[in-house]
Amino acid sequence: MSRHCGGAPAPSRESRALRTDTRVSIRRVIGLAVVAVAFVLAAVASHAETAPLPVTEIAPGIFVHNGLHEEASAANEDAIANIGFIIGDDNVAVIDPGGIFAEGSRLRAAIRSRTDRPIRYVILTHVHPDHIFGAAAFRDDHPDFVGHAKLPGALTQRGKYYLRRLRGAVGDEAAGSEIVPPTVLVSDRLDLDLGKRRLVLRAHGAAHTDNDLSVFDENTQTFWLADLLFVDRIPVIDGSIVGWLKELKTLTAIPADRAVPGHGPPSVPWPAATEPEQRYLETVAQDTRAAIKAGIGIAEAHRHVANSERGQWLLFDDYHPRNVTASYKELEWE
Amino acid sequence: MGVTRSMLRRAGFSLLLLLLALGGTAHAERSETERAARWTELQHAIFGDRVVEDAGDRVAIDAPARAEDAAIVPVAIQVADALAPQVRELYLVIDDNPSPLAAHFVLGPLADPREIATRVRIDDYTYLHAIAEAADGRLYGTARFIKASGGCSAPAAKDQALARERLGKMKLTFGERTNHDSPVIAKLLISHPNNSGLQKDQVTQYFIPADFMQTLKVTYNGQPVFQLDSDIAISEDPSFDFRFHPPPSANPGEIKVEVLDSSQRQFIGTWPVAPAPQM
Repeated sequence: MSRHCGGAPAPSRESRALRTDTRVSIRRVIGLAVVAVAFVLAAVASHAETAPLPVTEIAPGIFVHNGLHEEASAANEDAIANIGFIIGDDNVAVIDPGGIFAEGSRLRAAIRSRTDRPIRYVILTHVHPDHIFGAAAFRDDHPDFVGHAKLPGALTQRGKYYLRRLRGAVGDEAAGSEIVPPTVLVSDRLDLDLGKRRLVLRAHGAAHTDNDLSVFDENTQTFWLADLLFVDRIPVIDGSIVGWLKELKTLTAIPADRAVPGHGPPSVPWPAATEPEQRYLETVAQDTRAAIKAGIGIAEAHRHVANSERGQWLLFDDYHPRNVTASYKELEWE
Repeated sequence: MGVTRSMLRRAGFSLLLLLLALGGTAHAERSETERAARWTELQHAIFGDRVVEDAGDRVAIDAPARAEDAAIVPVAIQVADALAPQVRELYLVIDDNPSPLAAHFVLGPLADPREIATRVRIDDYTYLHAIAEAADGRLYGTARFIKASGGCSAPAAKDQALARERLGKMKLTFGERTNHDSPVIAKLLISHPNNSGLQKDQVTQYFIPADFMQTLKVTYNGQPVFQLDSDIAISEDPSFDFRFHPPPSANPGEIKVEVLDSSQRQFIGTWPVAPAPQM
């Protein structure tokens, strides 16, 4: 197995400690070794009974688990987003570790049933819990946790609230789910090499959230957009409606053979699959501006905005009023 | 010194959070009797031994029965024509919020108290109370139940960079005015996180300090329209719709807005007000 397995500390730090205080360090090393062995045993035991998450290979080496079009609950274990992984010649990148620890573990089991290559990167596409609160399941692999430069700030502001809400919605099943801050930040662009396979990560301006990352797999020309792209399920505006429309213009100019939306089928035609989302966002922006101009209040505005979109989207009534409130708050400053 | 102060602040916020958490569980299944007892307690805390009379149809609260977003609940206090000329102060109380007195307006002679609106955070299913205080000291109260929860600790600032950049910016727009007798209807927006201080930094485990608007003063040509004392119950990017009557004049006047926040930052904005069109 690779150097990534097990929970032993990095050797350099220990040898430094040995020089300064041998007795204490030896005790620490023994203690840590016991803990590490316990961890490995526990990990082996738990992985043995962890059923791999079902995934689809949408292009060579790219695997996607198709999230359910539901709200997070104990029954669905918060497995509501499209998450997955990409296997290179040398190592593996996870793109979103899933909504809770259990989903992350099952995703890890799906990887391990296909390859022994080290899980080198866990990419956190944005702050929302259904995508990243399973990250702790990959801690023992010691990957780089890669996120947008604004992800730490967003986690600071919202992490605890999300965790509390997740525990409320999912209950005991949320056990082990934690906030894992990114260890590598992307402020513009970052290329990751998986071994004869390059992933291009782009950090976007405020759109779905203010910390969206997209991933482009050059080998298969697959554009993994996460929640920058919603298909079938209503988009959630939690960044900037104006910014999202702007990002979509830039994104759709980039050629690709297919895209992976954050919610929707695991693989969709590009850029055609962005059309409903663009239409929804444009309609919401236009109607909300009209509502503000007509003096309609923020609470009533959703009744007057984008009614033509009802019936076009799953979970419309769950998210549309909030989308309009968010857009109203943004657009009233224009 | 600095350490002590920050420790004290942290202890204070921990206590606040604890109280909020305890309050939250206690509130979950409140009976009407408990709600009434809560209001009695609050009345005593805010008004002492003074009696709050039932306002009947003289004071009303306009708010959605169920809020779509508990962090941004629009609430309007309305005062009937008959009572309006006597009203000097308005109170908005959100009974089950961690800090229940959400807003206290002191109205100047130019204010038109018939409608004043803002947006608030609501932490739990609760009664809202609006109380109008007349010049003779009598208090007229009304209540409205609202279903919303989680508004005080809910995440805010969808675009944090923009929020920082826009801090303290204000926007004031006026409704159409038909003649000298009709009030000027103004909509004021203030860009401010109005942070509750109830979020905790995951990395440092420190609480993000509360940062909110403490007072808002609106004047017209130096004459008070209203002054507001408020705190974290007002939503992020505070919004106020208010009415006032500029003294008759053929010349344009100026409205001035002064904000003081809990970090002792002051923000000032001024806007010209066109004279009413001649009949």
